[in-house]
Amino acid sequence: MALAELVQYVATGLLVGGVYALMSIGLALIFGVMRVVNFAQGDFMMLGMYLTYFYAISGSVDPLLGALLTIPPFFVLGWIVHRGLLARVTGGGDPQRQMDAQLILTLGLSLVITNATTMILTPTPLGIRTGYATQAFTLGPVLLNQARSYAFAMALVLAAAVYVFLTRTDLGKALRASADDPEAASYQGIDVRAMHGLAFGIGIALVAAAGGLLATYYPIEPTVAGNFIVLMFVAVVLGGLGSIPGAFVGGLVIGLVQSLTLLVLPFQLQNTGVFIVFLLVLYFRPQGLFGRRARTV
Amino acid sequence: MASRTRGWLAIAAVVATGLLLTFAVQERYHHRVLTLVFLWAAMGLAWNIISGYAGQISFGHQVFFGIGAYVTVLLVVKAGLTPWVGMVVAVGVAVLAAVLIGIPTFRLAGIYFGLATLAYPLIFRIVMDWLGYQEVAIPMKREQPGWFMQFNEPRSFDLLALGVLAATLALSRAIETSRLGYRLRAIRENEQAAEAMGVDSFRCKMAAYMLSAAPAAVVGAVYIHAILFIVTPEAVFGLLVISQTLVVSLVGGAGTLWGPLIGAALMVPVSEILDTTVGDRLPGIQGVVYGAALMLIMLYAPEGLYWRVRQAVRSRAGRGGEAARSAIVAPPADDAVASAPTQTVLLQARGVSKAFIGLQALSDVSFDVREREILGVIGPNGAGKTTLFNVLNGFLIPDRGEVRFLGQPVTGLRPSALCRRGVGRTFQVARTFPHLTVLENVMVGAFARDAAVSRAGVAAMAALARVGLADRAEAFPGGLTTLELRLMELARCLATAPRLVLLDEPLAGLSADGIDVMIAMIRRVRAGGVTVVIIEHTMQALLRLADRLIVLDQGRRLAEGAPGQVTQDPGVIEAYLGKRWLARLAAR
Amino acid sequence: MLTIASLGVSYEGLRALVDVSLEVGAGEFVTIVGPNGAGKTTLLKAISGTVPSETGRITYLAQDLGARRPSERAALGIAHVPEGRRVFPSLTVMENLELGSYRRAARAGRKGALDEVLALFPILRERHRQLAGSLSGGEQQMLALGRGLMAQPDLLLLDEPSQGLGPRIVEQIFETIDRIRRERRLTILLVEQRVVEALELCDRGYVLETGRVVLTGRREALLADARVQRAYLGA
Repeated sequence: MALAELVQYVATGLLVGGVYALMSIGLALIFGVMRVVNFAQGDFMMLGMYLTYFYAISGSVDPLLGALLTIPPFFVLGWIVHRGLLARVTGGGDPQRQMDAQLILTLGLSLVITNATTMILTPTPLGIRTGYATQAFTLGPVLLNQARSYAFAMALVLAAAVYVFLTRTDLGKALRASADDPEAASYQGIDVRAMHGLAFGIGIALVAAAGGLLATYYPIEPTVAGNFIVLMFVAVVLGGLGSIPGAFVGGLVIGLVQSLTLLVLPFQLQNTGVFIVFLLVLYFRPQGLFGRRARTV
Repeated sequence: MASRTRGWLAIAAVVATGLLLTFAVQERYHHRVLTLVFLWAAMGLAWNIISGYAGQISFGHQVFFGIGAYVTVLLVVKAGLTPWVGMVVAVGVAVLAAVLIGIPTFRLAGIYFGLATLAYPLIFRIVMDWLGYQEVAIPMKREQPGWFMQFNEPRSFDLLALGVLAATLALSRAIETSRLGYRLRAIRENEQAAEAMGVDSFRCKMAAYMLSAAPAAVVGAVYIHAILFIVTPEAVFGLLVISQTLVVSLVGGAGTLWGPLIGAALMVPVSEILDTTVGDRLPGIQGVVYGAALMLIMLYAPEGLYWRVRQAVRSRAGRGGEAARSAIVAPPADDAVASAPTQTVLLQARGVSKAFIGLQALSDVSFDVREREILGVIGPNGAGKTTLFNVLNGFLIPDRGEVRFLGQPVTGLRPSALCRRGVGRTFQVARTFPHLTVLENVMVGAFARDAAVSRAGVAAMAALARVGLADRAEAFPGGLTTLELRLMELARCLATAPRLVLLDEPLAGLSADGIDVMIAMIRRVRAGGVTVVIIEHTMQALLRLADRLIVLDQGRRLAEGAPGQVTQDPGVIEAYLGKRWLARLAAR
Repeated sequence: MLTIASLGVSYEGLRALVDVSLEVGAGEFVTIVGPNGAGKTTLLKAISGTVPSETGRITYLAQDLGARRPSERAALGIAHVPEGRRVFPSLTVMENLELGSYRRAARAGRKGALDEVLALFPILRERHRQLAGSLSGGEQQMLALGRGLMAQPDLLLLDEPSQGLGPRIVEQIFETIDRIRRERRLTILLVEQRVVEALELCDRGYVLETGRVVLTGRREALLADARVQRAYLGA
């Protein structure tokens, strides 16, 4: 197998991984701040894809821009879902029971969203037609699909924006502090419950935007969540539960793993490598690559 | 016991009702719904064994369901083997899978366990795809339909499904009333406390997992033959299977027989009817109903309908806490031979060191504990006292040094093993099993010595009587005062028939009267031949109680000796109050 | 400034405080000493609101703190430097300090407060870009103190600043607390196990034992009172 072919697979994997990275950052933020495993993350992504489609059809808005435009409405939606649902499930005070209860709650939410969408909208896959979806850049021997490249670039831009928000603004730092130590955060005057709502809103908005970017080259249908939720989970666990840079790297790695698996296995088995990685991480290094932040003395 | 026979009678009543319905129902379609109710109830009961009783929430139980379906069908297709035998083989494969999955996965704690269970069905789906089994249809066997589970009469499927349900009910009930059942519930309520009472949690979880896999496989096998006829990976390993299982168990209530029955009887007909009536115009209505059910239950009745109703009935009946309680009276002073400490060394620590990140918790600690003494362990905040107990008890493995009990090295043994050897423990913050009665709490301790439920019950009552709590046996820990809770923990520990007990701050938070009662009780424990090692901060009380004191400071043993001596020791005064206080004291 | 009347608190199912009453006047330095398990930390948590009070009342600046959430109490000007320091490990030293002045009233004066804190703790200026989790125990304590000061508080609650630290660092910390006291018009409530160091800094003190106030008095009186030792060692 020629080196050029390998490089091609790596390149495609990275491009795809960029979008996975954006999806996973949202999940990691939600887990880091709230200790919630949001099973419905993929379904919000699917809704983001549909909204982007709507923008494209009704306003001729290019999906790359449409993805950005999903951010405000989904932020609000995330905030409402947190206030209305998640904040009310406490599992009786025991943190383990609470995590189980919230996982079940979000599983139920996922079922409702997927199936309601199937009921209301057509299950036929939809696609957004853009000029660049079928064209490719050439970089030496490597072909980079234009849609994926733009999506990758936008994903990086959004991830960078999140990074700036978390490291340069008071609110972002307050979010990270709430993830580290909620009690100590409240002593600084940080309203931790509001931080939870903020984290969930941002997490949902990010994954919706990722969906919009995905829609530039991936068909839109109600069941699309199922294909990606596992990838997101693995990326987040690989990076270290709660670590945002970890989730970003995890997403890229998962994209690579998925792509390289295609070197040996057919298309329907492309997630095999991902599952193997998942189990390896859980058994041998459950804290992931960047997990276990430095402890206080 | 009366309640035991009542349970079996209730099960018989349920089965009888099922039979009645089977013969009363006429329409073919209604038979299908009935079969589904029976099957999903059985699946919920199977899930309940590992996730309800043991509290290990599995999001991947459909693995065993799918194995049941695939193995039986493939054996029919490839080997012409009757599914009646094929089912047995499928159960064997499922149990083996449970072992292989359980061994690595039960090592994972908390959320990682749940996440891992998500992965296995996905892997099976991929494997089945890869092996080319995307669609395996059951071949028609017109000559011997019964032999191949291909009944023409829908009632036959009802009866088959009812049989599966009855068997699973019997299995669940047998577990509930056995030692394993008590132990599983103890693990669910508080795994650490269970370990300290002699429960090997890994073994118990594995047993539960294997027992839960078997009925799930049978349900899968019957489901394929009765309902689906074609096996696809999505249909048997997919999300809808686990969703239905969760809905049935959680809506009804996990941790009880009746939960999955109620859940299935409620949810399955609702969703099937909706699917038939509006399913064409609204595809996916089932998923919406199940998802909404899960959400509503988690929001409003997370423990499930069965428990919610039971709680409402109980509080209306005014049980549990309203009856006049007799005040706990300190037991009469033992005028019999006061057990004096002997010189025999029971427990020995040598050079024990333990470090955490950035903190040396214990440094080269060595001491002896003599038979029948009451040894107090004291020291300022952060001295390492609880760390020491955790090492002695098996919750922590020291970096260096060894611990010997009754002359045998015990360093690194699990807490349950240490308990069986005779080392008991109570905890700083009461670690009760909240959903078990006081008696059942203590029985978990008694099970360390005896497997029979009735004998354990007797031993537990005796332990409760020793601490004066016999009249609280049927109450729940939530309704007990702090003193009563401490006494219950003590009784639970004593029921394990220990030679030595580690008591972690038993006097904290008690009133002066409570302290008196507790002190008298501890003396009584020693009079019964048990050695006591006690961590305590309530110094004035401890000085009355202890024969000897050991002082720890910053992880090191600072002093040892009689209480009067130790409290005047300059090194000790300095450790507690500071060098400058000592200097002032000397200057006075 | 702060009045606690007949406070009763249960924590983790145990009665941690019983009928505790105390007062801290504006500008005063009050110390609370007592052995392990006396309820000192629970008392500070009750003032901050992270632990609910069952009976009694806490009044701050003539307002009943009632059921106000911790973040609201912090916004009123109460800065709590918690037991075990509790710096934010994955944030840098500078970010930790900046968050100290998160409350609205403190944001305007952030720059000035930062300069003062860095002057007080030069080591923090040196390590300002390091992750807080990688600092030594003493450095983390200084960071926690600095973070508390960044709030430009009216009332500073200090929970066992000496815990887990070596003697030389403890001396440094107490010297710094003394300096803070002398240079600013802060009201300080200090909880400590180390009796003399804590009592020498204060104006008045209280001794807690198993959830109750057993002794109170001015500094010199307590320093000379042998009953303080009995609270710790029972004899």
